[in-house]
Amino acid sequence: MSLRRYTVMRFIQLLVTFFIVMTLIFILFRLMPGDPGVFLISPKMSEAAKETIREQFGLTKSIPEQYIFFIKNTLKGEFGDSFYYGRPVKDILFEKILNSIVLFTFGAILAYAIGMTIGKIIAWKRGSKTDTFFTMVGLGFWTFFPPWLGLILIWIFSYRLDLFPLGGMITPDVWAFNPTLSQKIIDFLHHLALPLMAYVLMWFAGSMLIMRNSMLETLREDYILTAKAKGLKDKVVRDKHAARNAMLPVVTSFSMSIAFSFGGGVLIETVFSWPGIGRTIVDVTLLQDYPLAQASFMVITLAVLIANFAADIVYAYLDPRVKY
Amino acid sequence: MKIIRGKSKTWDLFIKSTLGKVGLGLLITFAIMAVLSPIWIARNPQIYDPLTGKDPNVFGSIPPTMAHPLGTDQLGRDLLSQLLKGSQIAFLVGISVGVFSTSIGTLIGLISGYYRGKIEIVLMRLTDIVMTLPLLPLLIVISGIFGRKDIRMIVLVLSLAGWTLAARVIRSQTLTLKERPYIESARVSGASNMRIIFKHIAPNILPLTFLYMTIGVTYAILTEAGLGFLGLSDPTISSWGMMLQWCFMSGYTFKALYWMIPPGLCISALALSFYLVGYAMEEIVNPRLRER
Repeated sequence: MSLRRYTVMRFIQLLVTFFIVMTLIFILFRLMPGDPGVFLISPKMSEAAKETIREQFGLTKSIPEQYIFFIKNTLKGEFGDSFYYGRPVKDILFEKILNSIVLFTFGAILAYAIGMTIGKIIAWKRGSKTDTFFTMVGLGFWTFFPPWLGLILIWIFSYRLDLFPLGGMITPDVWAFNPTLSQKIIDFLHHLALPLMAYVLMWFAGSMLIMRNSMLETLREDYILTAKAKGLKDKVVRDKHAARNAMLPVVTSFSMSIAFSFGGGVLIETVFSWPGIGRTIVDVTLLQDYPLAQASFMVITLAVLIANFAADIVYAYLDPRVKY
Repeated sequence: MKIIRGKSKTWDLFIKSTLGKVGLGLLITFAIMAVLSPIWIARNPQIYDPLTGKDPNVFGSIPPTMAHPLGTDQLGRDLLSQLLKGSQIAFLVGISVGVFSTSIGTLIGLISGYYRGKIEIVLMRLTDIVMTLPLLPLLIVISGIFGRKDIRMIVLVLSLAGWTLAARVIRSQTLTLKERPYIESARVSGASNMRIIFKHIAPNILPLTFLYMTIGVTYAILTEAGLGFLGLSDPTISSWGMMLQWCFMSGYTFKALYWMIPPGLCISALALSFYLVGYAMEEIVNPRLRER
């Protein structure tokens, strides 16, 4: 099957999945105890505002009609007004998702680069002390409870050593007095450092262990023996011959672990008060701000689906043997 | 018919692995904690009950003393009681989710691998979809919708969402197993599909099932603890995640390390111990990983 056809098929699958998730959310929110529409109409709203929402979401109509209204509104990005902020949900979410994407992307790139590098080295030195050490450390971090890891990092680096801020994304005082661009960037990176470290520690172990296993399998192939017999340097055999082929399962694991990592991201954002979508969904759930909670979940799901889709296409591009 | 190694051989290989031993040792430690929990509380429930107990002589959170070996929380409740009780809860949640989700995964894997065709396509697409659901956010939203947070509901959602990895791997294993000659001879001698699946294929994927159960347990423990930490787990039980949340919320995080360290350590260590047992299993179950 051609790459183009695979891409199209995979895209259709993405749409179907999103549709099913939308339906699931529609049903779940209608199971909510209380008045119909309680998840869109805040008691604090004015009568006119309530009427507008009822109109826009067809809340006075039958359930199948409401479903059609719901799908249309979701596709347009209309989720109603936030109970807490009193503004349309879509205006609030855009900024939050951007903040999350920055943290997630930096974290993923660093974690995978570090994990794969260590993974290929320890597989090459299988059974050595280095191998045992990194395998142990990796297994330890892999099951580390993410918020606890965050708290410990804050305790060491902020509370005791006073190197980094306790949380947040920027220092409001710095940003209030016309800072230069470089001041802004430094302030941002200063805040980014600890949550990023937590992300990387939480995440590198997975790619490292998979890379190690995958390398071990690749190293048994005949072409590795051939390469060694030709007298190629160890480093060339390891990096050019083995590691390139061993990378494939790591890409698959990346695509499969995205959804799980977003869960860890929610916890890390909460601990570090990072103003991302993960922290938002927790806060608004506790505040019973249902329109924002519903929309946050949809946006997170969509982000996971797109990341997954991208990883699968990259995989298909890297490995022409892939079949749908 | 069994083509895997016998039980005792598997056990010998397992006990030789250092990681497996460490994992098993940790598991036994936590099991002892869970067993000790009622004994510790029964000494004086009015003081030592993890949720409703209160030491009348204690005001605010205090560091370890003779009466409270791990100190107390801000309400004067004994932290050791909470920690021991937490071990019970973690085992309960972890093992029930592990068993339920792996059973679903094994069944789906066996059926789709054995019958192929349309059944396989439908089941595997379903697996893809469930796999991409962000579970923790989903649980957060569900707890918000229903307001009432119930541990049974958390277990149910985790089980209904956590079977996908097992289903995928067991399907591909079933695909290779069903081409073996002994399956052919079973079919020729008139065995029904059900009999072939459960009598001839299932026993051979049992080690894999066990491996994915340990992964399922790890993920259930971490996710439930995550919900607890966010304040969205069942408030009628004291889990390790809740302990950490009480510490975080009452502002004692960095003032009371005797409070902040133990629950996080226990969550991570119990998750690790199940993972280590699985990891040691995998080296045995997956012959491609063994050293040549």
